[in-house]
Amino acid sequence: MSLPLANMPEICYPICMADDSLVTIPAGSLRAMERKVESFKTLVEISTIISSTLDLEELMSLVMEKAKGVMGAEACSILFYNRDLQKLEFEVAVCQEGDASNILKKKVLLDVGQGIAGWVAEHLEPLIIEDVKKDSRFFQGADKMTGFETRGLIAVPLIGRRGLIGVAEMVNPGRFDFDMEIFQLLCRQFAIAIENSLAHRESLQRERLRQELDIASALQRSFLPEFPTLSLGDLTVSAVNISAAKVGGDIYDFVTPVEGKLGVLIGDVSGKGVSAALYMAKASSDFRYISSRAESPAAVLDGLNTALSRYPRGMFLTAIYLIANSANGEVLISSAGHPPCIWITAEEVRVLSVASGPPLGIVPTGYEATPIALGRGERLILLTDGVFDARDRSGARLGFEQVVEFIRRHRGEEDIVPKLVDLVTDFSDGTERADDLTIVEVRRG
Amino acid sequence: MKIDIQEHKGIKVFALSGEIDMSSSPVLRSELMGLVSRKVPVVFVDFKDVSYIDSSGIATFVEGLKAMMPYGGRLKLLGVPAKIMEIFNFSKLDKVFEIYGNVEDAFKG
Repeated sequence: MSLPLANMPEICYPICMADDSLVTIPAGSLRAMERKVESFKTLVEISTIISSTLDLEELMSLVMEKAKGVMGAEACSILFYNRDLQKLEFEVAVCQEGDASNILKKKVLLDVGQGIAGWVAEHLEPLIIEDVKKDSRFFQGADKMTGFETRGLIAVPLIGRRGLIGVAEMVNPGRFDFDMEIFQLLCRQFAIAIENSLAHRESLQRERLRQELDIASALQRSFLPEFPTLSLGDLTVSAVNISAAKVGGDIYDFVTPVEGKLGVLIGDVSGKGVSAALYMAKASSDFRYISSRAESPAAVLDGLNTALSRYPRGMFLTAIYLIANSANGEVLISSAGHPPCIWITAEEVRVLSVASGPPLGIVPTGYEATPIALGRGERLILLTDGVFDARDRSGARLGFEQVVEFIRRHRGEEDIVPKLVDLVTDFSDGTERADDLTIVEVRRG
Repeated sequence: MKIDIQEHKGIKVFALSGEIDMSSSPVLRSELMGLVSRKVPVVFVDFKDVSYIDSSGIATFVEGLKAMMPYGGRLKLLGVPAKIMEIFNFSKLDKVFEIYGNVEDAFKG
């Protein structure tokens, strides 16, 4: 005769307590307590791992290897939630088949709501599925791609301080009777550790970028004239250049192409940042080379146009190049889509209208040169759009006409350029400088 | 910025609205260069609802134009608002791009 299991007497074990008293505990409860102790041990071990490294890859591999071992899982993975794409992507997949990990990392993207991981990401709740074949939510695509066979899995959302980070999955675990509360606690700790290492990684990247930008900025400054003032006979040229970002896209240069003549370039590269700075560096070195071999400003712009047309991404340069004769004040001016220069004489301030072609580096074309006679005491002001496109707090632009008007009011004064800088600074007070600002003054004494 | 790609009498028309700047021009670039890489012969860009364009936005069209020139493709800008036309005139970009008043003019041009 056999007794029904429920009626069998349960085996009990005596346990010695701290005060030497003896208590008896049923075997089932003891096993449960042992498992709990094991789980706590794992929790402590993983907590130690979590606090031992800020390296994201190392952290994830260590934790997932440990979790995989404890749960007897055949594989485990972490999918990160990409907020820009609003999709889940495999960040780490630990399985015996290395190829499967690579395939998952390269090719598998899941929508939120798609598959088990997508469901967990959508509902922010864990799922335990002993037989995925019976669950319609299971996404078979990953197995088809990797050749791996998923039978059961446990998926838990990783939720950090800023919301969903991703989903952790244990594939084909050896057992399903583990303590979910502890597992979730572990995942919460893990999520915060991931967040911390992501923040650490971002701060390292920012620091690296800052250092790179410092170097780029120093290199870029080396392409500008060493001294912002140059005199040749009666002619004096001076410049002010303020970059909006660490590296800017404005350019100016002074050269003496032939004896007694002063060449002055001002330009503005489309775009900002490192790409604009690289383009500026190329334009600067091309200009130095071409200007030493051509006496006419139009020929220099023609040469620069050809040299810059090979540059990618539709970048271009607006520029004015003028050559002034120190003996007689004759100035030849060529423009490539650059804002006009302003001519200050004893009687008036006028916007100088010269023949202008399109910006450099776009289409093959021929530039022209316009002659003017710069009298003694007269000045030319060349500027970039960072001067008149400056915006105030309400977003209103300063405007080219306002700049001309300001120069009219101050035309008798020596220090027009610093005053112009003050005008822009005061106008855009309280706003972040959006564009580079360059002002070049050519004066005939 | 919003991009609405329409087809008008067999020609692709990019109807743009909002601001074309450093943050939005990469999306525009990807769409435009996608067409150009397939050597689409004519592309219209409708600027009617564009409120602002910066130099990175202009560079996107320059890149498209330069990529179309070798195979004889044509990039036609239409409905350019007065404020943006000022920028094109000021920087002589009106000498670079084909600019038309509206779709009908662009067809005739």
